[in-house]
Amino acid sequence: MNGAGPSIAFWVLAAVTLIAGGGVMLSRSLFHAVLLLILTFIGIAGFFVLLSAEFIAMAQIIIYVGAISVLVLFAILLTPRAGRYNGETKMLLPALLLSVCLAAVFLFVIRDAAWPRVNSEPHFNTNQLGEALLSTWVLPFEIASVLLTAALVGAIMLARTPQEEAEDALA
Amino acid sequence: MNGIDVAGPQIAVLGAAGVILLVDALVPQQRRLLPFIALIGLAVSALWTISWVARDDYQTAFGGTLSLDHFSVFFYFLFAGITAMVVLASIDWVNREGRGQGEYYALVLTACSGLMFLSAGRDLITIFIALELSSIPQYVLAGWGKDVRSSEAGLKYLLLGAIASSLLLYGMALLYGVTGTTMLAEIGETIAWSGDANRSVLVVAMTLLIAGFGFKMAVVPFQMWVPDVYQGAPTPVAAYLSVGSKAAAFAVVTRIFFEALGARFLSDDWSNVFAVLAAVTMTVGNVMAIVQTDIKRMLGYSSIAQAGNFLVGLAAISVAGGEFTLGASGVLFFLAAYAFTNLGVFVAVIAISQKIGSDQIRDYAGMWKRSPFLSLGLAFCLVSLTGIPPTAGFWAKLYIFNAGIRADLTWLVVVGVLNSLVSAYYYWGVIRQLFTGASEDSTAIRTSPSIGLSLGVAAAGVFVFGILPMPLISAARDAAAIFAQH
Amino acid sequence: MLYEYGQIGILLVIALVFPVGALVTSWALGFVRIRPKNVSNPVKDDIYECGLRTEGPSLVQFNFRFYYIALLFVLFDVELVFLFPWALVFDKVGWAGYFEGLSFIGILGLGILYAWRKRALEWRL
Repeated sequence: MNGAGPSIAFWVLAAVTLIAGGGVMLSRSLFHAVLLLILTFIGIAGFFVLLSAEFIAMAQIIIYVGAISVLVLFAILLTPRAGRYNGETKMLLPALLLSVCLAAVFLFVIRDAAWPRVNSEPHFNTNQLGEALLSTWVLPFEIASVLLTAALVGAIMLARTPQEEAEDALA
Repeated sequence: MNGIDVAGPQIAVLGAAGVILLVDALVPQQRRLLPFIALIGLAVSALWTISWVARDDYQTAFGGTLSLDHFSVFFYFLFAGITAMVVLASIDWVNREGRGQGEYYALVLTACSGLMFLSAGRDLITIFIALELSSIPQYVLAGWGKDVRSSEAGLKYLLLGAIASSLLLYGMALLYGVTGTTMLAEIGETIAWSGDANRSVLVVAMTLLIAGFGFKMAVVPFQMWVPDVYQGAPTPVAAYLSVGSKAAAFAVVTRIFFEALGARFLSDDWSNVFAVLAAVTMTVGNVMAIVQTDIKRMLGYSSIAQAGNFLVGLAAISVAGGEFTLGASGVLFFLAAYAFTNLGVFVAVIAISQKIGSDQIRDYAGMWKRSPFLSLGLAFCLVSLTGIPPTAGFWAKLYIFNAGIRADLTWLVVVGVLNSLVSAYYYWGVIRQLFTGASEDSTAIRTSPSIGLSLGVAAAGVFVFGILPMPLISAARDAAAIFAQH
Repeated sequence: MLYEYGQIGILLVIALVFPVGALVTSWALGFVRIRPKNVSNPVKDDIYECGLRTEGPSLVQFNFRFYYIALLFVLFDVELVFLFPWALVFDKVGWAGYFEGLSFIGILGLGILYAWRKRALEWRL
């Protein structure tokens, strides 16, 4: 990452991501919180592009911006209207204290550690990723499909109405 | 395809899950066969594992991400056994519920394969996805009842589990960031090579890993979900959670901490953390268990207290030299003894609670007259949980406390012994109710063959390993010996 | 490579300038009194819905069925993302890679078969 362009992009993305992330927490309306969450996801996808991890950026957009946020929006739209606003919480101060402590720990760790550096420009392409996924990491790759199927079965089971269960039991 | 052969035990279990889903979807009139398909799958898995033991050709496969060694073989047998017992104990309950039979067995088996992968994974990515593979079916199973209690259990387990997963992932990301690899062995080498230059990151990563896995191990302060989930989830599922996912969490923690974070300057730190956690976990679990009136809640707190006992084994790593793995073998031995014992308790509770329609301890009064078999089995397993001979639980406690004393953790062993006395109070409270209490209802409780078989196997295991613990101890020693190379 | 994304970034900036510019212009015109300030009436403040008058609040409770669809969508979306790198190196990884991808799809195919037989894909009210 050399030159002014990536630096400007980094700071703009950082500002967008952080402001949107703060908005998610502070917004009283859950609906607005989700929209801001989508903006946060997009900002993070931007970081992945800056790190030349294009496939992950694409996955971030497709899964998080495209699918997860739709699911969250549906969850809000499917619950009764009373549930669409955040209640008052007493945990604000403890949560703030905890976040400050965590931030302090991570800042210390980030500055203290001798992180291994990659000397060359980061270059990454999806073809290499595909080959790695089908050779070294083929086991997690296959487990992922089992995991998705199990989640599918579980989701259908839990979302089924008593009437549908009765029909299924008679089948 | 050598990899398929190495992952055979898991594939057999997953294959059975797939067959169950297919049978359930395509020939629903054959549903009563489903538990037998599950048992056949587990038997094939155990036979496949036996064939590997016979071949004596331990190896890693899939680019080093999956390891077939004494350690994983030990857990393959343990998980196949646990799952078979849970399936046996569930048959009555699932038939009575009359819904989702196929999904239930398929998810139980999927979780089992996840637990197996978890104990055999030698790479952080594999470990994480195996953890999810075992967790997601368990979230669904905890919410299986769909009433208020069960839904609350499922939701609580899911939300706290997601937080734990995120902490874990953060810890793994830090480990990867500082070592540049996700393979456990390479992480260990890199840390040994770079010395304590990155100590601060490693300590933070370690803390995050303990927090993430601590949730699955159910140790204080990550235990708050346990009583609610055990109480709300269907009892067979609670049995599965209390034994299966706890054993897998201890397996993976042992593997990660011994293999990747075993460097001396780190192990001194984490053995201290585990020692403190052990003392706190035992004490909190036992003290809270005393005041419980619901037997499932009591067993929840008792399983927390037992997790404190396992932690003594992890804390005892500071012994150098030939006894480096004594604590780890203690964890494995205790896990196996605890699996038999706790499953026995849960099976008896399933059988009794189903018939009397209550989980209250006072409703267990006079059970001796109504069902001598269930009462004796339950009482014997509770004696084993207390740690009194001639039971497997006695040897497990003796072994792990011995490891503690060798590691100069005498204070921790004293805390452990005092806690055993406290635990005796509430375990014996249940036994007293069983044998001396008076019950208004004196109709005999009939035990179904499947419940009888699983309780019989559990009690026999507790008894046999209580008389002859040596085979189990030597298996645990062999399994733990794989960490002794460095 | 990053340079090309920079060009997309410029496009993004231009795309943002249009709506923001329109809003700012509209707001600024209020000061020079070309547009009258504070004109509002119920019809003007109403939600625009193809010229039809809207009835009831815009945030209504949706049918529960949509949740099934959203869940299935998320699962198959994730599947798609996993298959993307496989599709890119399809020709290089040989038969082993072919069967690995095939078993990935096959396992999820079992899930679809299950969902279909359990009538989770039907729209029932």
